Amino acid sequence: MSIISARHITKSFTGHTALDDVSVEIPQGSVYGLLGPNGAGKTTLIRVINRITIPDKGEILFNGKPIRQQDIYRIGYLPEERGLYKKMKVGEHAVFLARLKGLSRHEALVRLKGWFTRLGIEQWWDKRVEELSKGMAQKIQFIVTVIHEPELLIFDEPFSGFDPINANLLKQEILQLRDRGATVIFSTHNMASVEEICDHITLINKSHNILSGRVDEIRRRYGGNIFTAQFRGEEEKLRRATASLCEVMECEHDALSGITAAKLHIARTEDVRHCIAAVNEAVELRSFAEAMPSMNDIFIRAVNGTLQQ
Amino acid sequence: MKNIGLIVMREFKERVYKKSFIITTILMPLMMVLLSVAPTLIMMFAKGEERNITVIDHSGVIASQLTSDEEVAFTLSEDGDLQEALKRSLADENFGVLYIGRSIIENPSDIQLYTNASSSAIVEEKIADMVEGAIERERLKAYNLENLQEILDEVKADVNLSIYRNDDDALASSSSLFAGIVGMILGFVLYFFLVIYGSIVMSSIIEEKNSRILEVLVSTVRPFEMMMGKILGVALVAATQILVWGVLLIVMSGVVLPAVMPAELVANIEAVQGGADLTAMAASGIDTEMVTDLASLLDTAYITRIVVLLLLFMVGGFLLYAAMYAAVGASVDEAQDAQQLTTPITVPIILAFIVTTLVMNDPNSSVVFWFSMIPFTSPIVMMARIPSGIPAWEIVTSLVLLYATFVVMVWLAGKVYRVGIFMHGKKPTLKELYRWMKY
Repeated sequence: MSIISARHITKSFTGHTALDDVSVEIPQGSVYGLLGPNGAGKTTLIRVINRITIPDKGEILFNGKPIRQQDIYRIGYLPEERGLYKKMKVGEHAVFLARLKGLSRHEALVRLKGWFTRLGIEQWWDKRVEELSKGMAQKIQFIVTVIHEPELLIFDEPFSGFDPINANLLKQEILQLRDRGATVIFSTHNMASVEEICDHITLINKSHNILSGRVDEIRRRYGGNIFTAQFRGEEEKLRRATASLCEVMECEHDALSGITAAKLHIARTEDVRHCIAAVNEAVELRSFAEAMPSMNDIFIRAVNGTLQQ
Repeated sequence: MKNIGLIVMREFKERVYKKSFIITTILMPLMMVLLSVAPTLIMMFAKGEERNITVIDHSGVIASQLTSDEEVAFTLSEDGDLQEALKRSLADENFGVLYIGRSIIENPSDIQLYTNASSSAIVEEKIADMVEGAIERERLKAYNLENLQEILDEVKADVNLSIYRNDDDALASSSSLFAGIVGMILGFVLYFFLVIYGSIVMSSIIEEKNSRILEVLVSTVRPFEMMMGKILGVALVAATQILVWGVLLIVMSGVVLPAVMPAELVANIEAVQGGADLTAMAASGIDTEMVTDLASLLDTAYITRIVVLLLLFMVGGFLLYAAMYAAVGASVDEAQDAQQLTTPITVPIILAFIVTTLVMNDPNSSVVFWFSMIPFTSPIVMMARIPSGIPAWEIVTSLVLLYATFVVMVWLAGKVYRVGIFMHGKKPTLKELYRWMKY
């Protein structure tokens, strides 16, 4: 079941098209990565999902039904560019934002106090926002994004500007929210950050959805039967032993440890077992694994692929 | 709707709890009082030093009629030689020399004032007045009529016009001059509020846009709600300020002024308020004009009426202008960029302010009437007209037009706002704003 179905979304602004017939299915309970270079249209898609921007064409379904204004209260959105009123007290500000998300004053107070205690920031309650450091402000923004316990969380470039400690904290909190049943959408141009936590992704480039699916499937699809073998021994021996089974793409010898890493392309899946056996015979095998291409590699290949079409 | 309420309250709290708001709200009336008394005070303390003027009178009749006072002292020159007198006057550092020609009675221009330093308008006027009186008396003397001066004094009449209105319940209304002055003050207060509070809306939207708080709010609050919340919040602040001032004024007129004024004056005022016969009062030597003016100033009902209307026009005018200022604020990144876009907003305000000066001459002229109906100028101009006593239908029509225009303007501004708040780094032109409206 998809919590969000974006169907054939098209949105153009004066002068350029931000989204061109983009469809995305976001399964319930997933951590969904929305990837693409800057200016690809990710933020516009998020704004369309949030009902901030009205699409020219297409529709958004929320839990199978066209999204309504009330559904917004079931979404938590942390925008890429985020700010707070500098002159307000932290606690007062958090209550204000929480109430805008539909909580009663009492409910907001109870939940916020809980979060503040959990993150060990109770002493900030009466400080002014302008006294907070950037990282502190980010914590507050994160809390108010999730305070109304939304079913769907949308983070636009969440790690940009977060220091590594806060980024890690954020990651942990996000995974916990997922474990409690929330769906999370990430938008980022930083591919590496996605690999660890996303289970589904969509690649957006130049207003188009160029690749969608489960991360492991996509990797396999783009993996192309490449394996790495780490061994101790002579490279020549390995080449001779596996000549009929696979092609050795590259070999790297680490003089310090004496271990060589070889990248092998095994054309037929049934040859993998034989290949392992052959390598094992020829050299002292340390490890043999399928080489997963990085998201970055996949992204570049996908973009090039669309360019060729 | 709940969201608008939350935003209004936040705006209101942020501004009203500020020290500067409390200070200006309380200090402003004091400043106003000071400003209105200041000219009198300055006149009292800054009296010019005595000016010595040597008089050379070849006619022989004028000099004796020039009377010295604490500002000007006249000394008659014995020899009547101008050159000599000038030289001496310079040496003594006197003000100058007044030379009166032989034929001054026939030719009133035969008179010159030589000054050693820069002249003074007050002194010049004083001399001209005195010489004029002297010449007139001399000319009358030439007719050789007995007791002419006494006859003239007896004939002299000082008209004290008491004004009543037919269409009003009030028996005596204040003089037009008084109404005109009150109108000017009200017009100015409105002008001041529209410009100051309008730009507060604009700059705070620019600030929100730059601090990216809008991006955080926009997911749960619709842009239109955000804009309305901001406008209404600031309007509430302005209304609070007017209300505080209004209450201060009512207390002043109802309690403080009667307490400090002479008992006799208060009795007269009460008589006027009670519907006493002004003609009879005037006959008994009371300055009825002043008494009626004071009577309306002390009439709590009159002041309350004005304060209520002021609130209505101020809120209406503010909402209209704030919507425009909000649209401009949403479409620029920095206050400096707003200059070009605010011109179409400030022109009608300034125009309205200029028209208020015409109200004093005739509060019912057609120019003034139309400017008090057209929504963009109506708050300021109508407010200036109201103290003169305007038919209720005119006020109601003007208010309806004003609030209707506000609804249309807010709808247009909302469209600009919605697009504008996400536009960064590019300064839009008026043409682009128009395109955003059609979006």
